[in-house]
Amino acid sequence: MNRTWLLIKTILKMHYSRAGKSNSQIGLLVVAALFLIPLVFFYLSSLREIINTLYDALNPLGQETVIIGLLFVVMHVLLFFMSFITVLSAFYFAEDIISFLPYPFHGYQLLLGKSAQPFIYLYITSAAIYLPAFVYYGNAASASFFYYIIGFILFILLPIIPFSIASILLMFVMRFVNITKNKERSKIIAGIASLSFIILINVVVRLNTNTEMMMQDVASYIQEKDGLLKLITSFYPPAYFSTMALASGGLLFFLGILILTGIAFLLFICLGQIWYIKGLLGTGNKKSHKKTTGTVSKHIKKRPVWLSYIRKELLVIFRTPTFLMNCVIQSLFAPVFLFIIFMLDSGTSVTGMMDIFSTKEQLLVLFLASMFILGANATSYTSLSREGKDWNSNLFLPLQPKQIFYSKIAVAWIINLIPIGLILAACIFAFKLSFTLTFIWLIIVLLSSWFTSMLGTYLDLDNPKLNWTDEQEVFKTRMIGLIAVIIEIGLFGLLVLLVWNISFIQGLYLTSGILLILLVTAILIIDYLLKSKLKQNAHQRI
Amino acid sequence: MIEINDVSKDFAGIKSMNLTIPDGKIIGFLGPNGAGKSTTIKMMTGILPIDAGTITLNGFDIEKEPIQAKQHIGYVPDQPDMFLRLKGIDYLNFIGDIFEVPETTRKERIERLTTQFNIYEALQDYIQTYSHGMRQKIIVTGVLLHDPDIWILDEPLTGLDPKSAYMLKEMMREHAAKGKTVFFSSHGLEVVEQLCDEVAIIKNGELIFYGGLAEMRKQFQTNQSLEQVFLELTSDE
Repeated sequence: MNRTWLLIKTILKMHYSRAGKSNSQIGLLVVAALFLIPLVFFYLSSLREIINTLYDALNPLGQETVIIGLLFVVMHVLLFFMSFITVLSAFYFAEDIISFLPYPFHGYQLLLGKSAQPFIYLYITSAAIYLPAFVYYGNAASASFFYYIIGFILFILLPIIPFSIASILLMFVMRFVNITKNKERSKIIAGIASLSFIILINVVVRLNTNTEMMMQDVASYIQEKDGLLKLITSFYPPAYFSTMALASGGLLFFLGILILTGIAFLLFICLGQIWYIKGLLGTGNKKSHKKTTGTVSKHIKKRPVWLSYIRKELLVIFRTPTFLMNCVIQSLFAPVFLFIIFMLDSGTSVTGMMDIFSTKEQLLVLFLASMFILGANATSYTSLSREGKDWNSNLFLPLQPKQIFYSKIAVAWIINLIPIGLILAACIFAFKLSFTLTFIWLIIVLLSSWFTSMLGTYLDLDNPKLNWTDEQEVFKTRMIGLIAVIIEIGLFGLLVLLVWNISFIQGLYLTSGILLILLVTAILIIDYLLKSKLKQNAHQRI
Repeated sequence: MIEINDVSKDFAGIKSMNLTIPDGKIIGFLGPNGAGKSTTIKMMTGILPIDAGTITLNGFDIEKEPIQAKQHIGYVPDQPDMFLRLKGIDYLNFIGDIFEVPETTRKERIERLTTQFNIYEALQDYIQTYSHGMRQKIIVTGVLLHDPDIWILDEPLTGLDPKSAYMLKEMMREHAAKGKTVFFSSHGLEVVEQLCDEVAIIKNGELIFYGGLAEMRKQFQTNQSLEQVFLELTSDE
């Protein structure tokens, strides 16, 4: 046990090491926290409002337990997906695990060591959603002290079952299916598969929803006490047991969920001991060299320096699975979702939603939504950090710092063209916006993309993470993405709100003119800040 | 020519270092671990800023005219784990573009050098799949591709197989024979003894000797090997 504990501590220490980090990050965190406070208040009060309203509506029907049931189902599904992604990278693809293999550790010890960090994410997620929701439900139901005790114990148990199921499935696949033969490709396949799976569920749910039949089902279940709960948790006993333990104070159900969690954890440990190391051994292999056939001279081409630099950056992004997933594929999430929702709903209320707005408001809504999607793209705020130890090469090669940074901004801008293309398709096919509005939006969004790319790159120069051993570290355990979005949305959200409410700003041309002026000003400000930082040789002092 | 004038770097304990390295020489840069060798090399190549003093490369100040200065140097870092996601040929093309090497020269040099280094057949593979020695060779090829006047090499022979190490040493001799400069750090004292015209020895950030091996023996009135002199010079007693 001591050894397991030592391993967990060491792995966590390595993961959260502050080696090479500057203190300016703390300042940025404080700024981010200040921005977040109103959001947290808004989130908590909305959650309380939702739960109170639902409780008041469902309590007279004897169906209030469905709220807790829904909470558990949502939490388990969410934690399962989160586990799936974190387990794959933590158990198999993080480079540090290979360095532990020569030491005398059991498979289950390594497994527990590597589980600690995904578990922290799962607990943070649970704490953010489950804890306030169960407390508000308790308040609404005037629950006893006992309810809160049970609720807290269930919080401790919550991530174990979804994590164990996801881990066991993955360990089985890694042990018996030969995807580890090509580690690089399997990382991309796993990422794309989880994205497609989520989209597929969305499509299936949307296509199969027969409102009339569903209402009949609901009506029949509603006759019985806790009937709705049974309806939504029937396919998944842990959610049913947890709900009954919490909402009805059923000690037998509480015992049941304890036993279920215990079994899941034991299975995870036992199967891990058998499968984990064997599955892991295949992942460290490098591909053998293929002989170059023919002449290489046809691949030798001269290009201008800026083009060569941009090409190098793009090659690195597209050839590094973690970068490809985080910079390109994840940036498609939001637009693909929007596209599917609006395409499947075309002609119904959602598509018609745009019609309730004036042209000015349509432009402002589209502008802010696009700004959010572009701002969330990780390419810009990992411009320097992606390079890791390669960063030095930018310093000893004869390249102007300005050239390096503008090329990096251009790379983020180019990657942004992919989500922009998708939103454009949504504008044309789903929203059926006019040509003029779409065209003006396109110009504005291309400028917004330059702004978000510049701001992200600037923030990364201010606080880069170059000392990584695993590419995941560039994206995780960093607040920079959140800070970028908060600045972009905070600033432009406020400006949009102003423009929205100023009555003399009307019509497409005036509104777009104002947005363009604001964007150009923002770009010039960041450009000035970036240049002054480069003048102080900030790029050399990292 | 490399001129280091009154250079200081606080965190490495380097204080007012002065060193002038003339053209046409191979200079070995020696010192115990943590003496300040890599820091000095990083200041020479523009990776680290200089706290005080100046460094000029062929007359160009590395801080005031960095681009011109860097055009004259070829640098091989101590860790060749760079550009791992690029294919060998992508990397060489990238370096060729940055140093504006004409296409015909580029083709001839890439084919000749990579064949000599025995990595021609791996050019279409990702550098990530290369062994340590192969990575070292592709970086050295990148340096030779643009034929700079000054070579600055940090532990260049580490990880090279005997044949490649021999070739690189021969190339260093040829380069110096053409009246150009080779400056390299090493822990391999035998290599330094057989290859270098002059050695610079640094200890705790201070240059404690610079000159030829014969001069060193004369100064310390000994016929001992470089290894023994080095150990005596750098011991803490």
